[in-house]
Parts: sequence; C-alpha cells; structure tokens
Amino acid sequence: MEHIILFAGPMGAGKTTAIRSLSETPVISTEAANTDLATADKATTTVAMDYGEIGVTDEEKVRLYGIPGQRRFDFMWRILRDRAEGMVLLVHNDHPDPVNAMREYLIEFADLCQRGGVAIGITRMDVRPGPILTDYTDVLERERPDLMVPVLPVDPRDRGNMEMLLMSLIANIEMRGSYGRVFA
Amino acid sequence: MTVMATRPAVALHKDPFVQDLATTALHDLTDRCPRVRYATVLTEDGFEVDGVPAYEDDRLSSMSSSMQALSEAVARELALGPARCLIVAADAGHIIQLRIPGQQLVLAAVFELDEPLAEALGSCRFAAERFAAALASR
Amino acid sequence: MSPDSGAAVGTRVTVDAPPELAGWAGAATAIHAIQQMPMPVTLRLHVDGHGVITIDLAFNAYEWSRSLSDFSLTPDSVRVETEPGNPDTPSIDLPGRPLDPLLYAIGWRAFGDEPAPWLVDGHRYRLRRWPSLSELAIGLDEVRMIAMLGNAFATADELAAAAQIPPSDARRLVNALSVAGILRRTATAPALDAEAGSRGGAPASTGLFARLRKKWGR
Repeated sequence: MEHIILFAGPMGAGKTTAIRSLSETPVISTEAANTDLATADKATTTVAMDYGEIGVTDEEKVRLYGIPGQRRFDFMWRILRDRAEGMVLLVHNDHPDPVNAMREYLIEFADLCQRGGVAIGITRMDVRPGPILTDYTDVLERERPDLMVPVLPVDPRDRGNMEMLLMSLIANIEMRGSYGRVFA
Repeated sequence: MTVMATRPAVALHKDPFVQDLATTALHDLTDRCPRVRYATVLTEDGFEVDGVPAYEDDRLSSMSSSMQALSEAVARELALGPARCLIVAADAGHIIQLRIPGQQLVLAAVFELDEPLAEALGSCRFAAERFAAALASR
Repeated sequence: MSPDSGAAVGTRVTVDAPPELAGWAGAATAIHAIQQMPMPVTLRLHVDGHGVITIDLAFNAYEWSRSLSDFSLTPDSVRVETEPGNPDTPSIDLPGRPLDPLLYAIGWRAFGDEPAPWLVDGHRYRLRRWPSLSELAIGLDEVRMIAMLGNAFATADELAAAAQIPPSDARRLVNALSVAGILRRTATAPALDAEAGSRGGAPASTGLFARLRKKWGR
C-alpha cells in the first residue's frame, strides 16, 4: 500500500529540505544549477522531483514527492498531483508576496485540496516575522471556508516540526473522509 | 585574504557568447541531420538558450531539463556512471538529448521518425562536443 | 469581570476575581468576555511569581518575558487588568508572540476537567480555523481531536467517544480552543456519529495516522 504526499510551494520555501528531514531513505533529488541567480539567490533548484519515503510497515509506505517551485515546470505538478492523496504546501515568509503565493497554489491544486487535504507550513518566520500566521488563516477563512487547513510555522530542517505538519495533514484527511464537513 | 565567489554578471541563457555558440551547435546539427523537427540548447535548469526553428511552445526546455535530471538521477542511483544520453522513442518521432560535456547545458533535439537513430545520436554528440570545445576556449 | 462594569472609556480597570474564578479561570473568563466585545482591549495578566503577560487581542499577539514552558499549572493568583486598545496602534512591540499557544494553554488549565462556564450543555462546536500550537508540546491525541473538530460539530463527550480518549481530555481541549477564540457553536447540528470513523474512514486505532503514530512511538 502506498500513500503519496506532495510537497509544493514556491522556490526557496524548503521543500527539498523538508523531505530530507522526513525521509528514511536517502532522498533522490533532481537538483540543477540555478543559472538565473538574479531571480533567486539559490545555488540549485529542483527541476523534476524530489523523492523520499517513510516505511510505515513492511507493506506500506508514505511516498514523499517534492515538485519544482517554478511555474515553467508545472507539467510536473500535473503529473504528480493526480496521484497524490494530500499535499504539504510550504511557503516562505520572506517571499515577496507569501499570502498571495499560498492563494495561487491552493487554486492550482484545487482538486487535490478538495478530494484530499492540504496542510500549510510557513517557513522562515524567524527571518521575516511578518506576515503573521493570522494573515494567512484570515484569508483562508474568508476565501475558502469549506477548507479546513492546518497552518503551522515550521522549520523544514526540524524533523519534529515536519512530523507534526505531516500528522496534522493525515489526521485532517482521515477526519474529512470520516465526517465530511457538517455545517449547522 | 578571503576570495569571494562572484555571481555571473548575466544569466547563462542570456550570455551572448553562449548564445552564439549554441546557435552554431544547432546549425551543426541541422546541417548533418535535415530531419530534425526541432532542436534546442537549454540550461540544465530549463531556460532555452536558442532553438531552431523558432518555436512557440517553450515547454521543451523545461521538460528536457526535468528528463535530464531524472535520467541522471536514475543512472546515479543504479551506479551506472554518468548518463550519456537520453532517448525517447515515440510513434511519430524521437527525442535525443545529452549534456554538453562539462557544462550546465543540454542539447535536445526532436527527430522525424525516418531519421536513423544511430545517425541522429552521432550528430548530436558531434554538435555537443564541438560546443563544449568552443566553450572551453573562452 | 463584567463587561457592564460602568468604567469610563480610556480607563484601566483591574478586577479581582471571585474565589471560584481564581487563577487561570479568572483570566480565561475575562479573555472570553472580552472576545465578545466589538472594541479592542488590551489585557495584562499579573501572574503571581511569573511577571506580566500583556495581550493585544486586536493584533493577535502577546508579550511576556518568560517561555510558555514556564507556564505555571496553578498560580496562586492571576490579576486581570484591562484597558481600551487602539485598532491602529499596538500596545506591544510587534510582531510579539502569536496568541494561540498562550490562550490554548490558559484554557487547558483554567477549569480542570470541567467545561468552561460559558459552554452550553448540548451545544456542539466546530473549529473556525486550525490552531497554531507549535510552541506547545501537544500530543497526537490532541491533533486527532482538533482534526475531528475541524470537520464536524461535536460536544466534548461526543468528541471523546469518537476519539476514544477520556472525556476530561476532550473537555479540556474544547475549553482551550474556546479560550483561543476559534470555535463556532451551534444548537442544531446533529449528533456526531462516533462510529463514522469505522465505516470507510480511518478508525482511531487502525488508520494511517494510528500506524505512523505507532511506528514513531508517539
């Protein structure tokens, strides 16, 4: 049995790092030299996918797929999202417009959000403290009241942080499946 | 004394020197293989340096970048040594791509079905090696 | 503390809680009352032996010189001081510290195993949004209950039954989320189906969540 969890988010949010924190096997990454340093001050960038895994039992795995952050690789998004059960969306707080970036990814992955689940990790809040978390959750509450989304500050290097985010996602997916959304 | 690493003044795919050599390499290829439907030189992170003929759909560079990285990752994981080339054989044509030796650049070409694979591959290698040699002379 | 204390606008008010609302109970009750008010309010909690916690509800932040790990389970006294806030001017240096963990911790401790006094028997509750509790070492039982309340209305007892945990833990959780101000309530939602998790969903004991939890020994 396999469970596929996608890691999405803008370039520099920490997707590759997050998968490395969680994976029990060496991560297969497809990093290429970033030749456009003017756009992003990062030596490398993911151009196909990152792959890691968590062995739950002998017959069950959680497969972690990290997708490239740049839109020119959105064909990889389409390939991978169709197979995914849920998504961890990482957004770095020092992104030029992080709240809008969150919004754009939720639109892009609307089907997956609807049928599975999404959990959002805000990274680098220590680098730039604003926006604050309620800036993200207020937007979600206003624009997507149908979507219960864990939004947590995380350090993708911290295994404990990433386990909590992953478990929050899985709990939410299971509860959504069990109870749906019951409104008064 | 500390030596600071310097950022390139211009992105690789916008470097005029690289662009000129890429154009030359692509013409090397199309001169030897007239049944090239499309050929491009791209940076390994998916930016097109040049393409012949002019092509509206710029996805080939991004897709080739992904395929190059995946194929190199698979070869590495299976301890097969560096990946030399990637071939996609489809019903209506072939894609051949290979890294410009020692560079952050990839040559990718789409061939008509009736172009013999061995010749197509040989032409790609020829163009790539000449490109690498010219870059090394900078 | 009563919202109808009659204090003039701009006046700082200090309230001594009645004995049954001593300690965190008084603070939790004050916080809950103020959350119902339309005007911004700044609270200062003078926690015996632990300094002053300044809470700016308008800016969703607080200031305190101590860590939440210093949080006293049973302070001898918590004196609540309030003053009108300013929606445009924070009363603390921003960004401050996010409120969720503090309010959750207060709510968890305030009323022991009993429901908070403002929670109505028979009403069901659901989350407006997921709480951000990274600063606290919450357990996976709590994560699971939070996920349930994120997707269905429930009473604390229904939550306990569905999550297969002691009712007292569920009551504390509902108290904590209520003090954090992120619960919606209703008198008309149907009872939570405690068996739903066993039919086509993921039972507490056998779903992926449970299997990962077991693997990680948590």
